This record gives sequence, structure tokens and C-alpha cells, in this order.
Amino acid sequence: MFNKVRNALYNAVGGVEALPAVADGEDQGRMRVPKFPYARPHFLLFQQDEVQVSADHQIRPIIVPRDISKLPWSSGYAETVNAGKSTWNEDQACVQQRILVRDSEKHIQGAGMPYTYFALFDGHAGYGAAVAAANQLHNVVHKKLMDVIDHILPPLELGNNGVHLESSTPRGMSLWFPEKALPIDAFITGALELAFNEMDAQIGEDKKKYVMKGGCTCVVALFIAGKLYVANAGDSRAVRCSLGKPYPMSNDFTPSTERRRLQQLAAHKPELLSNNFTHLEYNPRPGRALIGRKILYRDVYMTGWAYKTCSPEDLRTPVVTGEGKRSRLLATIGVTRGLGDHELRSIIHNTPIKPFLSSQAEIKIYNIEAHNINESDVLVMGTDGLWDVTSNERTAEIVQHSLHNFPFGDKANAKYRFTSAAQDLVMHSRGKPEGHNWQTSGGAPGTIDDISVFVIPLAPYKSEWEAWKKLNEELHYSAKLPPSSTISSEQPATDVGLRSAVNQTTGPSDSITGPLQNGISSSTAPIEVFIPQPDDVNASELRLAEISLDAEEVTVIDPEETDVSNGESESPPASGDNADPTSPNYCER
Amino acid sequence: MSYAYLFKYIIIGDTGVGKSCLLLQFTDKRFQPVHDLTIGVEFGARMITIDGKQIKLQIWDTAGQEAFRSITRSYYRGAAGALLVYDITRRETFNHLTTWLEDARQHSNSNMVIMLIGNKSDLETRREVKKEEGEAFAHEHGLIFMETSAKTAANVEEAFINTAKEIYEKIQEGVFDINNEANGIKIGPQHSPTNPNLPQSGQGAGQGGGCC
Repeated sequence: MFNKVRNALYNAVGGVEALPAVADGEDQGRMRVPKFPYARPHFLLFQQDEVQVSADHQIRPIIVPRDISKLPWSSGYAETVNAGKSTWNEDQACVQQRILVRDSEKHIQGAGMPYTYFALFDGHAGYGAAVAAANQLHNVVHKKLMDVIDHILPPLELGNNGVHLESSTPRGMSLWFPEKALPIDAFITGALELAFNEMDAQIGEDKKKYVMKGGCTCVVALFIAGKLYVANAGDSRAVRCSLGKPYPMSNDFTPSTERRRLQQLAAHKPELLSNNFTHLEYNPRPGRALIGRKILYRDVYMTGWAYKTCSPEDLRTPVVTGEGKRSRLLATIGVTRGLGDHELRSIIHNTPIKPFLSSQAEIKIYNIEAHNINESDVLVMGTDGLWDVTSNERTAEIVQHSLHNFPFGDKANAKYRFTSAAQDLVMHSRGKPEGHNWQTSGGAPGTIDDISVFVIPLAPYKSEWEAWKKLNEELHYSAKLPPSSTISSEQPATDVGLRSAVNQTTGPSDSITGPLQNGISSSTAPIEVFIPQPDDVNASELRLAEISLDAEEVTVIDPEETDVSNGESESPPASGDNADPTSPNYCER
Repeated sequence: MSYAYLFKYIIIGDTGVGKSCLLLQFTDKRFQPVHDLTIGVEFGARMITIDGKQIKLQIWDTAGQEAFRSITRSYYRGAAGALLVYDITRRETFNHLTTWLEDARQHSNSNMVIMLIGNKSDLETRREVKKEEGEAFAHEHGLIFMETSAKTAANVEEAFINTAKEIYEKIQEGVFDINNEANGIKIGPQHSPTNPNLPQSGQGAGQGGGCC
């Protein structure tokens, strides 16, 4: 039976990589199998045959979803396989639409907050980690969001039994030791960061039990609470495009952009290098002939350069070699954040690389609710196969051109516009076959890497969010009504009542709903009852009072001035100054 | 499932002539009156028997829209057969055949078998292109010709199978180099005992033998 399953699996996916590896002797001959079989993204609805055909390295067909309705908001997706560097397309993707809701409120329509998750994973050294992350990360993210649901979604006051009150206001001490009021962004950012970390740990554990080779980059776009949160670890990229202009929503994490972090780690923990590599940087890297002569170098605490006398120790390979896209960590890998790679060792010296890799996500936030969103405003997410050939600027132009071909007003065909844009982007980076090479329409070399692209419109989420918010506010209002359904001016406002009244006044232009909800202390004294209407003067005044009270903690995102607020604005420990978008490695390569 | 040969087909022609419907009728034996626009390329597969041999047809169905023409062109390569489709009720789709044919000849291997198909033969009252015109065009350009209806399934089997017969004959005549996969022909596992794609273990061979 087992053999039969194994054969079926093998026949299904074929290729050397799919053959379950025989475990080493310590496993007493037990066969290890993949935890998840190789597949293409779930929304493509591929049969095994199609998986095979899509991996045609000669033709490299550009695959788009057969049923466009499988993706939210008619979002576009396209992919193509590499030109032969690995048997399978090692990119993976996942899309989920879920509702963040308490068990006790599941039955009430509008009580839960819907959110949408898009993710891309670019695998390397095997497809195992990428497939595992595509199958599981959304569940981890959901769990982490549920852990902080009280900070994201105020509970309905069901029957006023106090249960929700208690769980949602855990700050009875706040009068004496004010708890730092945190904005909702802090909790969603935290959930994403934690999810990346846990996913990486899970993959590490699974590598001991299953065949799960390699590692992967990971970029997630989470549409929740009226905003877009992009979490990135690796060299895939997310770029918001509006009216033909690109607005980056992520930084690339490569040996080149993370040089400082890697060198510092190497300097502080030299045992990680087992004396085979050096944390020093040289200009140029010295050869044997230079021993005893002056060479230019710099240490981790230097931004400038100095001379030293070259010793045999200086001939060791630097932790980071090469520049830009060609930079390598321990002369082996070109990406420094992501998931998996627990078993990865350097090509020379066989040094473990995992200690240098980080699963830390960098989060960037775009406040969709607070901005005017155009029908052609999109988020483009792509693996590095796209960006190696197509610049951010060119991407924004191609998207604009493609969307023009399928105008929004063309009711019959408008649903194809983002799919068509995704396909055009893949086509631009893949190019056409020219002999044994791939060439772009401009005559430049096309990428031989796997390419995967999402083109996600922002406007549908904005409408969806506004509709939900209205519904949810109505729920809060009706939940607050006393049984007689009349509002008595003597009735003291409860915390939740106050909360919902404040919510009512929070218009679409207000980007600080989160901090407000959390800024309200449970010690609020009985006050006049609000008639919760959007233009309620009392509520507005209270809102202002609350804002000034928490002025230090509230991050006001000004839609006019700040396009992207970095959720990690305080000292991203892993990236240092190299993650600066102005860094030469950041943009065009 | 095991096969002796795999033939790769491509279906081309103007948008709305019924390419995807022909494929669906051939692979699933059903007709879908309202079909989504094909944006990129879609795949279908079916097993047929010619001369007692199992042959797997792997069919690439392409987008007909002008906007996708350059992407479609990159799929001609490595096809053994092409179905060039026009709509007998729309004259312009017939007029565009020359362009399609030039494209196909330029981007495919020279031995590719091309079947010209006038589709929607069930709509006799709305016919704009006479059957004789189709026959004449096919004769002039050395194509095989058939009129089909993806709706009633008339001639659909025949169109796909006759193309396969033609390819099969060319193989017998030695025209196709079957060891070069760029020709759109692959020898199946049952034909080649040393096929590297087969599991090397004994169980794999047993499985293979069981199903043919």
C-alpha cells in the first residue's frame, strides 16, 4: 500500500527531486516522505498533467488562472517556469480570504472582520520549504491575528454580560501605571513578524521528520483593518503602482543590502565562521601576492576605509562577496532573509549558513482607507525573476499600458485587466526564445529564473472595507441599545458603549481608529450618553480629548505626506543602514 | 496512463471562433455556450488510439486576442500539430487566416501538421464562408480541412484524430525526428524500456505493465 502511494506520488510529480529520499541510517531505514506534495498554487486548479506541462523549460508557458473568479477582486496572477535550472518551478503562491471573528460572535453577520492574504514564496535548493510555507503560513498568520483580536476588533456588547468587557480591557491598572497605548498597526505587525518566525521554526522541525528541502523567500500582502500590510523577508518585492508610477512597499534583503548585519554577526560570533571566512571587507579582495603589502580594508565599525598590512588571514573569503544581485553570503547564497535552509552549508568549507539567515519580516503599511484610490491603483508582487529584468518604473508603465487595453468601463472584459497585466509583466521579464537564450523585446537578456507575479487592485478592498465598517458600526450601535430600544439620558455609558460611539465618529479620513480604541481607559467615569451619529459633537470632542491624551503614542499617518509608513521605523536590527531605499542596491540592478 | 507517443497540438485562430469550445468538446465531450476569454494558454489532454497504439494528445489552447499575439507566438515552438480555426459565420476570421498561417509557419518547426477548421457548422443560416472557400484555401496552402461544430460535436473527434493520423504517418515515413522533443513528439514509457523518467525500482515497472 505504501509503495503504491509512493509510486502514485512519484508518477504524479516525476523527476529526481520528487523521489522520496531514503533517510540515513539513524532512521532505521524508515522512509521519509514530503509533508506536502509538489503542486502549483491552489487557485490554478491544476491537474497533474498540467503541472507537468507548465514545467516545460523549452517553451516556458506563461500560466494564468483558468478561472479568474478564484482570486479575490479579479486580481491578476501569472507565472512561468525557469529555463532549466531546476526541474520544477520553485516559486509558490497562496491566496486566502478569511474572517477574523470570536467564536462567540461567529453567528452574527458583520461581527467578524474580513481580511485577504496574498503570499509569494521563491524557493531555492529544492521546493520543500516554499511548498510548506504556501500550505501553512496563512494558518499561522490567522492564529497570531486571533491572539490579538481584542486590539484589532472591538467586541460587540452581547447581552452586556461583561465577558467581552473583561477580555477586551485588560488594563485596570492604567490609572496608576498607564500602559503604553499601542496602535492597531503594532498588533498586526507583531502578528506577521511572529508568524514568519514560527513558520521558520516549524519548517526546521519538519525537516527532521519529512523530506522538506531548501528554503524560500516570503512576501505577504495582508489587507486588513482598512490598510495594506506588506511583510517581506527576502528578495521578492512588492510595489504599489499608481498612474504609471511605482511606490515600493518592500526592501530587498540580499548579502549586499544586509552586509552590515552579516559582518557584525560574524565579528561578534567568530565561531560561526570556523576560521574559514573573515568579517572584514577589502577593496579589492587581496590575493596571495599581496601578503606583506598594504591593502585597503574596513572593519564592521567603519564606514570609511583604511590600510593594513596583508597577512595570510586576509586571504580568507569575506562573509559577503560580490555586489548587488551577484552578492553572496559565505560565497553561496544570494538572499539573506526567508524561511527554511536549516541544512544549508557553504559551497566551500561546508560552513552552516542558517545562523546568518533571518526570518524577520520587514513590514510596510499603506493606509488604503485614508487615500483616494483609483481603479487602476494596484499592488504588484513578484519574485526576483520579475525584478531582475523589469524595473519598478517599467513595471508601473507596463501595468498602466495593460490596464489601458482592458479598460475599467468595458464591462464584459474588465475582469481580465489585472490578469492581462500580470501576464504582460511575466512576458516582459521572460522574453522570447532566441536560440538557446531568452531575450526581452528590447533585446536585453530575459531571466532564466522562475517568475511569479500578482497584480492586485486596491479599490475593491477599499469598498469592501467601507461596507463592512458600516455594517459593523450598525451592529455595535444595535448591540448597545437598551432592551427598551430607547435611549435614556440617565443611562451611564459603558466602556464598550463609549467605544462604539467613538467608532461612529471615525470617518474614512481618520487613520487612527486603532489607537483610539486602545487608548480608551476602562476607568472612564459615567458621562453623558451619546447619540451615536457621525457628526455627534460630543463624541468628536471626546475623540479629540483622547487623541491629545495619547498624543505620544498615536502615530498619525498623514495621507498627504507619507505614502508608506514603515511599521519597523525604530531600528530594524537586521537591516541597518543598508535597508535604506536609497541604497544603491535597493533599486535598479 | 501509459502511451506509445505523445503529440503536442496547438489551437490558434481569431478570438471567439470556438478554440476553447473545440478543446472542451474533444476532452470532456461537452459544450459550454458562454466561455470565458482565454487570456494565456490552457491545456487539455486525451488519449486516442491509432493503428492499435495509444497516443496521448497534449493540446495547448491559446488566446486569440490581438493583444496576446506575441505571447501566443512563443507557443508554436515544439508543436507537432496545429488546429487553425475560423468561424464560418464571420468572414473576417477567414480573412485573417493568411496572417495566422504566416505566424505559424514562421514560428513552428517546418513539419508541423496544420489542420484548417471552419467551426460553427451548426449555424448554417448565418454562414458567411462557403465550405468550398475553406477547401480551396486549404488546398492552396497544403493543409487538411474540415468543418466542425463544437456545439453538436460534429467532426470534432475527426479533426483531432485525423491530425494525429497525419503526424503518425509522418513518423512512419521518418519525416519527424522523434528523439527531438522540439518536434512536439515524445516517445511514451511503454515504448522505451530505458526511459529515464521511469522509477528504477521493480515496483514501478510492475505498475506500468498493469495498465496497458
